[in-house]
Amino acid sequence: MKKGLSALVLGILLFSGACLMAAEEQKSPEEYDEDTYGPLAPIIWEKPVKSVIFEHKNHTQGAGLECDSCHDELFPMEAGASAEKEDFTMQTLYDGGYCGACHDGETAFASNTRCTTCHIGVRGHARLSGNAPAAEGHGAKE
Amino acid sequence: MRINDLEKLENEGLERLTSLERRRFLQLGLAVTGVYLGGTILSLTPVAEVQAAELVPEVGQYPYSPHYAMVIREKFCIDCERCMEACVKTNDVPVYGFRTTILERRRTVAGGAHETIFMPVLCNQCNRPPCVRVCPTTATWKDKKTGIVVMKPSRCIGCKTCMTACPYNARYFKEENRAVDKCDFCWESRLSKGEKTTACAEACPADVRVFGDLADTKSRVFELLHTPETIIWVLRPEVGALPNVYYVNV
Repeated sequence: MKKGLSALVLGILLFSGACLMAAEEQKSPEEYDEDTYGPLAPIIWEKPVKSVIFEHKNHTQGAGLECDSCHDELFPMEAGASAEKEDFTMQTLYDGGYCGACHDGETAFASNTRCTTCHIGVRGHARLSGNAPAAEGHGAKE
Repeated sequence: MRINDLEKLENEGLERLTSLERRRFLQLGLAVTGVYLGGTILSLTPVAEVQAAELVPEVGQYPYSPHYAMVIREKFCIDCERCMEACVKTNDVPVYGFRTTILERRRTVAGGAHETIFMPVLCNQCNRPPCVRVCPTTATWKDKKTGIVVMKPSRCIGCKTCMTACPYNARYFKEENRAVDKCDFCWESRLSKGEKTTACAEACPADVRVFGDLADTKSRVFELLHTPETIIWVLRPEVGALPNVYYVNV
């Protein structure tokens, strides 16, 4: 009797363990490979205006672009290098430069539409970095 | 509620009438009586107020001259907060204070994605300002010429009633001079010195804030508000404060 009970308990334990393992395994094929898809952490530009987001994940894993679709012709790989250039402006994008190469209204939504998709602003940036929106300073509610 | 509709209604008794409704009815009566008795001098309600009853005043019926107004092209706001930085610098706003803020609204859109809408907010320089009405010391009033709601800090006792009355949360208490502080369309810092626009409008890289004289039919604010097929809205219209800050998406 006692033996039967412990076998049953052991069986349940093993079964639930297996279930968990299976769940883990299902997750793994979707794992993000930074070597294939680029850095997982979003790129945030603070120049020329605060704060603009770019996520490699949406463009590579999501939209199926290759690294060399954008690097190095449209964007140098070096972090923050584009922001130092004088022509890193919306006007250049409208003329087909940088993001505007695809965000032209045909390949992807046009650069002069859906502003806040990329322009997450000071508040969006604060939320990403874990700070409450405008936690201190102007406009904060006591 | 229009007077024509009111006449058709059964008498509900005073106890069920909201105070706003009662006040409006009284005002209407006073305005009508004033006109009947011989025009503007005897009218107890300023004619300016009666004329400004529509959201955007009819052409040629602006209560003020210049009638300063701001049109906010909302969908172009990207929350870069350069307007707030410029305002702080120009108007000596302390770190805990604000004369203008940016609110954020996020909603789900078709396809499961999210959309963010940024909403710049500042003093609406209302034609019927609730803050002015409640101030016990007349420390805040509507400038007779420009319509800007101004503050006299030395007269303010810091009771903060105006902060409670403001439908737009556009006032804060400034510890430095122990008085309530608010946006005055940069009157003191810029306009009175000959500048033509506010610091926030000048600083905006996306041309969101358009400032100007609504009474000038050639101004951009006038054009934006009088373009065919344009939808114009104001914040919290139900308050009946008749704001001079308008929102459009063009």
